[in-house]
Amino acid sequence: MKVKPVNHAKAAEAFIEDTAHMDFHDERLWDLRQKRDEQMHLLPEWQDLRARASAIKEHTLANLPEYLEQFETNAKKNGIHVHWAADGAEHNRIVGEILEKHGAKSLIKSKSMVTEECCMREYLEPRGVVVTETDLGERIQQLDNQMPSHIVVPAVHKLIPDVAKIFAEHYHTDPNDNSAQSLAWQQRLAARPVILSADAGMTGGNFVVAETGSFVVCTNEGNADLSATVPGLHIATIGIERLVPRMADMGVFIRMLSRSALGSPITQYTTHFRGPQKGSEMHVVLVDNGRSHRLGMEDFWTSLKCIRCGACMNTCPVYRRSGGLSYGAVYSGPIGAIIDPTFNERKYSTLPFASTMNGSCTNVCPVKINIHEQLYKWRRVLAEHHELPFVKREVMHMAGKIMGQPTLYRAAINSTEAALSTMPRFVLYNWLNPWGKHRELPHPVKQTFHSWYKQNRLKTKKKEGEGA
Amino acid sequence: MSPSRDAILSRLRDNRPDPKPYPLPPVARLGDMDNGQARFENSLQILGGQVLERQEGDTLATAIARRFPDSKIICSAVPDFEGTIRIEELGTPQQAASVDVLVVRAPFGIAEMGSIYLSEAQLSDLNSAAHLTQHIVVILSAKNLTANMHTAYMDRPEFHTAKYGVLMSGPSATADIQGVLIRGAQGVRTLSVWWED
Repeated sequence: MKVKPVNHAKAAEAFIEDTAHMDFHDERLWDLRQKRDEQMHLLPEWQDLRARASAIKEHTLANLPEYLEQFETNAKKNGIHVHWAADGAEHNRIVGEILEKHGAKSLIKSKSMVTEECCMREYLEPRGVVVTETDLGERIQQLDNQMPSHIVVPAVHKLIPDVAKIFAEHYHTDPNDNSAQSLAWQQRLAARPVILSADAGMTGGNFVVAETGSFVVCTNEGNADLSATVPGLHIATIGIERLVPRMADMGVFIRMLSRSALGSPITQYTTHFRGPQKGSEMHVVLVDNGRSHRLGMEDFWTSLKCIRCGACMNTCPVYRRSGGLSYGAVYSGPIGAIIDPTFNERKYSTLPFASTMNGSCTNVCPVKINIHEQLYKWRRVLAEHHELPFVKREVMHMAGKIMGQPTLYRAAINSTEAALSTMPRFVLYNWLNPWGKHRELPHPVKQTFHSWYKQNRLKTKKKEGEGA
Repeated sequence: MSPSRDAILSRLRDNRPDPKPYPLPPVARLGDMDNGQARFENSLQILGGQVLERQEGDTLATAIARRFPDSKIICSAVPDFEGTIRIEELGTPQQAASVDVLVVRAPFGIAEMGSIYLSEAQLSDLNSAAHLTQHIVVILSAKNLTANMHTAYMDRPEFHTAKYGVLMSGPSATADIQGVLIRGAQGVRTLSVWWED
């Protein structure tokens, strides 16, 4: 059976109906965007940093096999066990085997988008491993059985009463608690005993440094450090695209990551892991899961430069008003819309259309990914691969014909103007026009530019020509 | 060698773009080169950290006693401060959970971010202590401030030698519930810097 494409528009419709949630979501993310701008204006070298970050990442991706080997050699020298996983299934099997070898039944972990990609919890839990997310937002999403709705702030679509209800159900706290402080405290109280008794800890990795065989993890809550330093076993799951060549390159990225993400100068914790701590074991699982394939896509390989800051999501008017869950994918927002189709072209065929093409995502991206251009290119690829819904396909087909021929186009424009001013609403707003669902069609103009030009300028030009 | 390793590497070799147009840019020192104490303190305050108040006649012990009057277990990771317990006496990573205040010396700080650096060398191999303690007091010398992230990564040898190295910029924090900023999430609830000169 063929998978059905995600119905982003329908899910967004449901999100929009809940005004209180949508308004908060919209304002909160726009606030993050504004804080990012404030930070950017404090650094005169911001554009230089972006250009360097982009160049370092492009260089690394073009030389990725060599840098991965360099990392592996150095990490092994430091006492790290390095594993390679071609896909999510292999990743989960590797992690399961490491845990089994250690008799580990409880795993505490910090946020990692790669483990979401691999559906690791779903694999480990039936095998008797209790997996506990330690990031507050991620934990809320885990308890609520939802995917993260944002890559940096996973529960940004929820309000205080939503969290109070979830905590009441799972932590037996006051369901009417309306203080974020007290709810965060409840999470600390609930998490501590789990952290102290955990058999193993897991983190992701924001950056991997080939030169030193290290990986760098950035968090605000300190939960990654707790997950990595309290249990005697640390597993880090990292996408193969996360490399940078030299430790000295980290300055460029750390200076932009949190400023782009949250508008704070740096995450509260920036941790450099170069080997196991005393009495402990460290494993790194390098995950491909489609990345090596994406590297070969001429128009889309630069999406691998992404450092997962979420700035493109915060600035996107569609994302802010539709919510991350409406994308039905691990990665949402503009960056999700250009990488999700590489995982499943049909399932995520609707996502590149969830954009107004305003280009804001591209402008805020700290590693200069041309996100909106890739959105456009995906639309073309999907059209060529016949992944467009029937109405959109037929309308595009007609539009192509009409716009390709000036006389046909002008005739069509004239009749459209007539239609807009004379036709009843039910003719203009129906299932053949999904665009008109939440929008008003433009007011008809009295005269098109082309006919005005014909009437006025052409005459003037002729006169001037006659005079000369 | 796992079969996946070779398969991934050979796929990357086949698929990657031609490396020639993508040279590695030289390492650069950019931005504000001020490594002064005032800049550090300003950044520290933005990230929610604080400078431990020093009144006339104060020692570190009296300053801590005034700032944390209810603390019972004060753990020292430095030779020149006593505390109620030494970090070496904590037998396991989990035992650090009983600590109220950890006193530790940072080898350097970063003025741009108000960050302090700690590794296993400062934590007597008990890295969990920096995160399980309720509060942390960091002894820092203004002589050991570096200007920004570029100078830190280029000049500090610790990034090449330590197995565990954390830059802490203020206490742990979260804004995951309705965007409300909370200082003191899962890790330390407060971070204070004590200037030693």
